[in-house]
Amino acid sequence: MRSLQREPALLLALLAVTALVLLFVVYPQLQVVLTPGPGGYVQFLEEGTWVGPLRNSIQLTLLSTTTAVVLGFVYAYAMVYSNMRWKPFFRLVGILPLLSPPFVVAAAYTLLFGARGVITYGVFGQSPNIYGLNGVWGVQTIAFFPFAYQLIADALSRSDPRMEQAAHNLGAGSWRVFRTVTLPLSRPGLGAAILTTAIYILEDFGNPQLIGGTFYVLPTQAYSLISSFGEYTSAAALSTILLLLALGLYLAKVRLDGGRSFVTISGRASSMPRPPVSAGVSRACFVACLALAGIILLVYGSLVVSALTLRFPNNLQFTTEHFQYVLSGTNGDALRNTLVFSSVAAAVSAVFALFAGWLVQRGHWKGRQALDLLLILPAAIPGIFFGLGYLLAFNQRWLDFVDRGWLIIIAFIFWNIPVGYQAAVAGLRQIDRSIDEAATSLGASSLRGFRDVVLPMLGGSLRVGFVTTFVRAVTTLSLVIFLFTPPTTVATIRIYQLVGDLNWGAATAYTVSDIGMAIIALLIFAVLARGRIALGAARA
Amino acid sequence: MTPELDRRRFLQLAGATALIAACGGAPAATASTAPKATGRISIYSALNETTNNQLFAAFTKATGVEVSALPLAAAGDLQTKITAEKNNPQADIFVGGSSEFHDPLGKQGLLEAYQSPNAKDVQAQFKEASGLWTGWYTGIFGFISNTSRLNADIGGKKPATWDDLLDPVWKQRLILPDPIKTGGGYIFIATQIFRFGKDETKAMDFMKKLHPNILSYGPTSPGVITSITNGEAAGAPNWSHDILTEKAKDPTRIDLTVPTDTGFEVGAVSIVKGTKNPLGAQAFVDWVLTKEAGDLNTKLSNRGSVRTDVAPAPGAPTLTSVKLVNYDRQWATDNKTRIQKLWQAAVGL
Repeated sequence: MRSLQREPALLLALLAVTALVLLFVVYPQLQVVLTPGPGGYVQFLEEGTWVGPLRNSIQLTLLSTTTAVVLGFVYAYAMVYSNMRWKPFFRLVGILPLLSPPFVVAAAYTLLFGARGVITYGVFGQSPNIYGLNGVWGVQTIAFFPFAYQLIADALSRSDPRMEQAAHNLGAGSWRVFRTVTLPLSRPGLGAAILTTAIYILEDFGNPQLIGGTFYVLPTQAYSLISSFGEYTSAAALSTILLLLALGLYLAKVRLDGGRSFVTISGRASSMPRPPVSAGVSRACFVACLALAGIILLVYGSLVVSALTLRFPNNLQFTTEHFQYVLSGTNGDALRNTLVFSSVAAAVSAVFALFAGWLVQRGHWKGRQALDLLLILPAAIPGIFFGLGYLLAFNQRWLDFVDRGWLIIIAFIFWNIPVGYQAAVAGLRQIDRSIDEAATSLGASSLRGFRDVVLPMLGGSLRVGFVTTFVRAVTTLSLVIFLFTPPTTVATIRIYQLVGDLNWGAATAYTVSDIGMAIIALLIFAVLARGRIALGAARA
Repeated sequence: MTPELDRRRFLQLAGATALIAACGGAPAATASTAPKATGRISIYSALNETTNNQLFAAFTKATGVEVSALPLAAAGDLQTKITAEKNNPQADIFVGGSSEFHDPLGKQGLLEAYQSPNAKDVQAQFKEASGLWTGWYTGIFGFISNTSRLNADIGGKKPATWDDLLDPVWKQRLILPDPIKTGGGYIFIATQIFRFGKDETKAMDFMKKLHPNILSYGPTSPGVITSITNGEAAGAPNWSHDILTEKAKDPTRIDLTVPTDTGFEVGAVSIVKGTKNPLGAQAFVDWVLTKEAGDLNTKLSNRGSVRTDVAPAPGAPTLTSVKLVNYDRQWATDNKTRIQKLWQAAVGL
């Protein structure tokens, strides 16, 4: 990238990105942070109700992140390196936990593994108490390992097979190749995966709320203050603590990976196969993935069963009435809204995140670190406060002419930038600068270099950004809870209402429809995108 | 996403409404001589889904005023939404949820005072004196039991008082809505405090002794009902009307009982300041206070009515049929954080 002075177009692009981030991330969030006022903060800190949840949040984040990243790594390694069978199946199953509203899944866990669970009590005659730290740790591990898997698989598949082949040919065993070549080369992706997973776990509300019992964490405490007691100033103060915690995580990550380069792609795409892993390792991978997939399928299977039975688990008589409910009248409108909002937001967010990642990673200008932080910040903002900030900032009379659907779409775009951005930065750090510099030396502008050279090589990162934004938009409840209007109701809002109404059958039918629609959409996107962008990343 | 369509539909409906009105088809619901309410109102509703649909349809039929409903089962979410929207209010009416959720909005100047002519017979304890909010239904805190587990584990004996729940036979067989996460759980603690004449030590001693009997503290009040239906525990304190609604789906599986000295809520309706259709909003307040609306709500939700001429739902407790504590709503709201901390210390969380 040339200096900004020499390329006004680049300067303009940078200013535009910064302005958008300030307008749609910083400005709304400031409204929330400033809500309690100095007096409010003093009173809140003195009350001390935040001490226990803060401690619990840190403990839970450490535990769940560790297990989720380990599982994500195993899954990614198996998908990229092993010769195991059923890879397309595992790819699909690995995305399922991303596609479902957490509060429905958490409820399904209690039905399966709770004190009177279908598995625990029905099969084994045990009545475990799953409410508390252990229960929520387990559920979060399953719910969040796919995020780690996505990012790690993207990084692993980009490491150059030739280096591994070279090590292999020099006599290194597969473990040694992995430890001394693969692992170091995938460090940017790993760092990004750990940070992103940790931040998402830190701000997760659904699972601790339903499974956590009296193990209160910051997001549940904040949400309960709003939902059950209408106290949103204290809740806003809690949200500020969460933001500070996430900031700490970010700084730790920056220290951890410093500014090192991890260049492995030198230009020509390599068609060389990776060194073979032993049959034993492939078998072990297969078994590990099968076990994970089994748990996931059990949970989603139970959703399908309860959608098709009268009153799961007490009355298992077959019925289609729940699906008829979903399709009747205007009940299906929310599904359409979800599909439209999520698709538009995912496309924009993925491209925007990639472009921003390129500006930050390749630029030499001052203040890069600040923009870097701002682009990761949204991950640390619990959806409910992100939405609340939008309502405070943009519910203005002079904006009334704008359809409220746009507000939801913009919120989706900016709330979900961090993953795509992280993937882009990690990807760029593995691509040698000299490649895009070659283009600019030959006379192309930096922006053209981005479009024609960098973009085609970052298909994997683009895909990660798109998929993550799409699935998070499809599944979020908290972000839209303050933004929806009757004509812009989305699926999760409807599901939330049905669960509150004790209509578990219709709630699961709605969830199954929502997940099914999202999977079909993702498959269509994959087919459409094939050939245009290298979808190679996690598909190895 | 389709404002065009909405506008067209709205015009059609408005036209149809005018036609009906012109033919004299719309019965006059308001007793006042004020100009007739028309158009559309936006309602933020914390009522159950089925109640919403039928109640609002009946209102439109009775008055000709169209309803655009934004339902959210958590009243606190709606209270927060209305607070956050104060620069550009989007709602005309806030309906449902205990008066605790309406009262702070009134104090912040976000509600429009309105003395409905239909509220004149409503007891003073059920309404705000200046008309910022008006109570129109009541909910009573009761106890849900899983019939088969009650017979198998507890000897079939339902609790007649809250103290009965201290019996070791209930050990690890109760679920309580979480007092930190749910309004219902907090009302349970506050009820104990009022039961002991605001003696907090005695109330906390009760909660401490109750703690070993509690299997888990449930994250939402309706979720606890599901847990009891599925037999996770033998019983749980919860809202009587929601227990009755669940019981209607499968009458032999669960049952309701109301222990003596229990707490209750007053469900309120209020007009949001800045409403673009004050006449329509007033028509709604007038209408929910009618006998017709009271009967319908009682039938749909099993809640009670503030009107004495509305018969309770079959099997539903009323404010006169059960013994209530002297529930000091303001005190319970003002001392909430302190009491929650006392409770956490008492049970060692």
